[in-house]
Amino acid sequence: MALPAPKQRPPGQLQQGWQRLRRNRSGLLGLILITLVVVVALLGPWLAPYAPDDQSAMLGFASGGAPSWAHWLGTDRNGYDVLTRVIYGAPTALAVGLGAMLVAALIGILVGGIAGYLGGVADELLMRLTDLFLVIPVFVMILAVVRLFGIVVVGTWLERVPFLNLTTIVLLLGLFGWPPIARLARAEFLRLKGMDFVEAARCIGAQPLDILFRHILPNALPSLAVVIALGIGGAILSESMISFLGFGDPKAVSWGQLLYFNYQVLKVSPWAVLAPGGAIFITVLGFNLLADGLSDAFNPRLKQ
Amino acid sequence: MGILRYLVRRLLFSVVLVLGVSGIIFFLLNAIGNPIDVLMADNPGITDEALAAVKAYYHLDASVGHRYLIWLGNVARLDFGTSITTNMPVGDMLLTWGAETLKLQIPAIILALLLAIAFAAIAAMRQYSRLDFGVMSSALLGHSLPGFLLGVLLILIFAYWLGIFPSYGAYSTRNPLFGSGVIDGLWHMVLPLTMLTVFNTATLTLLLRANLVDVLRQDFIMAARASGLPERRVVFHHALRNAIIPVLTYLGILFGLMLATAPVTESVFTWPGAGALYLAAIQSLDYPVIMGETLVVTVMLVGFTLLTDLAYVLIDPRIRLD
Amino acid sequence: MSDLLTVDGLRVHFFARSGIAPVVDGIDFAIRPRETLGLVGESGSGKTMASLAVLRLVPPPARIVGGSMRFQDRDLLALDDAAMRGLRGKSIAMIFQNPAYSLNPILTVGDQLIEILRWHEGISRAAARDRVAELLRLVGIADPLHRLRQFPHELSGGMKQRICIGRALLCNPALILADEPTTNLDVTIQAQILDLLEELRERLHMAMLLVSHDMGLVARMAHRITVVYAGRTCETADARSIFHAPLHPYTRALLDSAPRVDHDYEHEVHPVLKTIGGRIPDLAEPPGGCRFHPRCPEATAECAQLRPEPFQVAPGHIVSCLKRGSHGLPT
Repeated sequence: MALPAPKQRPPGQLQQGWQRLRRNRSGLLGLILITLVVVVALLGPWLAPYAPDDQSAMLGFASGGAPSWAHWLGTDRNGYDVLTRVIYGAPTALAVGLGAMLVAALIGILVGGIAGYLGGVADELLMRLTDLFLVIPVFVMILAVVRLFGIVVVGTWLERVPFLNLTTIVLLLGLFGWPPIARLARAEFLRLKGMDFVEAARCIGAQPLDILFRHILPNALPSLAVVIALGIGGAILSESMISFLGFGDPKAVSWGQLLYFNYQVLKVSPWAVLAPGGAIFITVLGFNLLADGLSDAFNPRLKQ
Repeated sequence: MGILRYLVRRLLFSVVLVLGVSGIIFFLLNAIGNPIDVLMADNPGITDEALAAVKAYYHLDASVGHRYLIWLGNVARLDFGTSITTNMPVGDMLLTWGAETLKLQIPAIILALLLAIAFAAIAAMRQYSRLDFGVMSSALLGHSLPGFLLGVLLILIFAYWLGIFPSYGAYSTRNPLFGSGVIDGLWHMVLPLTMLTVFNTATLTLLLRANLVDVLRQDFIMAARASGLPERRVVFHHALRNAIIPVLTYLGILFGLMLATAPVTESVFTWPGAGALYLAAIQSLDYPVIMGETLVVTVMLVGFTLLTDLAYVLIDPRIRLD
Repeated sequence: MSDLLTVDGLRVHFFARSGIAPVVDGIDFAIRPRETLGLVGESGSGKTMASLAVLRLVPPPARIVGGSMRFQDRDLLALDDAAMRGLRGKSIAMIFQNPAYSLNPILTVGDQLIEILRWHEGISRAAARDRVAELLRLVGIADPLHRLRQFPHELSGGMKQRICIGRALLCNPALILADEPTTNLDVTIQAQILDLLEELRERLHMAMLLVSHDMGLVARMAHRITVVYAGRTCETADARSIFHAPLHPYTRALLDSAPRVDHDYEHEVHPVLKTIGGRIPDLAEPPGGCRFHPRCPEATAECAQLRPEPFQVAPGHIVSCLKRGSHGLPT
């Protein structure tokens, strides 16, 4: 027979952490910055003063124009309104960060969780695999893969996949970005599986999967959230650097692409570089601050 | 005796890692497309000689696995092949261009470590003061400021607006600045070195300060003070040594990634280093250079990880070799 | 005999972001040469903070804000930093609560001890090593030269505390501050360490401030006892008077809550130890008047208003309680 749930539950670990996060200045600032980016990303079409593909400034020989009433952040060398392009870059950045970390978190938690929970040979094998993936020079490798892939797909059906290039980058960032998450997940699962409440669950006959996903995972999430928040910022930064180097998706509107197109005219129209650069900075700072705040909020030992 | 066995075991595992990673990259790049097809597709005008050279080097008639083994055999004899674009031995190219990269990266890391020690010590000794807050806020900002953005700002301010430093290159093309080749080279280094140093310093300061604050709270620090040792000695001899141990990992990563992070730095400053070489190689599909450089990058990462582990063993007596 | 150390009206405030907490708010005690003074109180009573204050090592954001401390006729609060450093470890040495944490984990025992000796005495490394080895033999370490080369994690808890005691004795100090020196040790080792401390104090003519929450331990070691509560001194007397004629209600409550060998629990109606009702006050908002009044069985209305001044009931027996004759100051 199930006992009736008490009406007023004491605040759980998550609620306590949330309360501490709200009191934590850097975490709060991070949350504000991220909210700003999310709002801009969602309301982009209504906020942006021009259409994303509007190059009309080109016609008036006003490409690369300085900030003015008509173009708050100026125009870039291709005649795009910089503010519009920066606004339309927000959803791309978020999609990259979230997409890459979704893949990485899934693999990382699975690998690390199994290693930590099972222990023994499985642990040893999975962690050596993690060691291997940890020393893959991901950034350098992605550049080569994206370039080669771009040549091979020409003339195949893959060419018609929307944002193929961007998807490739996101997948690669995720497929090779999981080792830090796996290491932490392993440590957390190892720590938690020995705790009393897990023993108790085992004693009343809970199934292993049940223990893993209903008892251990929720308790490991706060620590994992810190690494994942850092990873989102890192993935966004990686994508913008890949694009900046000229290996981005030419069909996508991304901050890194803006940098790439306008870096050579930095001297004459610096706004076209500084605006997307600032957007990257704000977003990455937001996720770093959030991670900082999360780790303070969920590790009360450190904050006395 | 224990340390020797540990060393051999770690060394063997490192070799396995390098083989594994280079294998993954080799198979991935080959899985995307046969080098010849890719070269032909991208560059219909490629010379027959170049194609023949690639074919010969890669034994393109053989299976992928076989080709990987042949390549490994060549690499083991330090033969990285010949560049398709320059016809120069890839090993020599990596040395020449790599040296330009290390010229920036090594001083940047060492300088950053020294600065970070100073900043972290100041911040931790004056914990919760305005000075601490200032140091830590700038460190957090510097840590989140993407390196290339900092480079852009430096170029805008010091090269374009103030005109003090050159905005690109490692040397002047015609007349060296100040009439001296050495000063000319150093003058070109200032901006990229600043960019790398600022970023490294910010991250190292954050890490060190956090550790130092933790260590300074411990009883043995109070015990050292209660024994009459001066604060300077307590912080630098007793606390810093403990605080720097966890930072070794990050330091190892910084050194290990010296070549891997070079593409961005070097395209911001048009610096003729290994990163620029790599980007050019990808553009021109110079397979031998791509494979050679990814291998060197991997070896550096693995090598510095190994060195980090050894440093731990040497510095931290609590680590047991098992 | 004149006192070796007198602490009068010591006040240490903790400056937190949320406000100021008076963690030590008027602690008085005095130590005579070659005696052991027990400083007794619950955790949070400010006794550890008071002992750190003697070395002027109160960790920020706490700070000494008032009172006076005289050691060998010198005003400790007036000394410059260099002179104060010269006293630490040389004339006044400290033994910490947890030996596991009070040795630097990455330096050998020898490095840590030799460094201190050389710092104070300016002698050669070889000479310092010899003296350290000799001292370790004195604290009951059989093979000192071997131990000097070891790192703390290679030693047992008892061995570490012996080393810490050795470190405190390096320069033959006049006063040892021992902050719960045995709390974190195995029960079997506790007695050994206490015997060692007592023997050395006697042999080396030192005085000792024994900080503890444990009345039983203090009863065994101390000549005189000072009881503190919530940052203030309640009562000071020789050990005999404290145990047989305690005056302050808090001292009585403490004694009642400690098991006693001379007590026959079996023939009591309720054979249990008494506990002190209520809890130690939050020092961010301390109660007015006498700090103990919310928990005191004898408290009256004026106890909540007036702060009791120290009052000498008998020679050497001082109590701060309005019910025992203390004069009250409005708070």
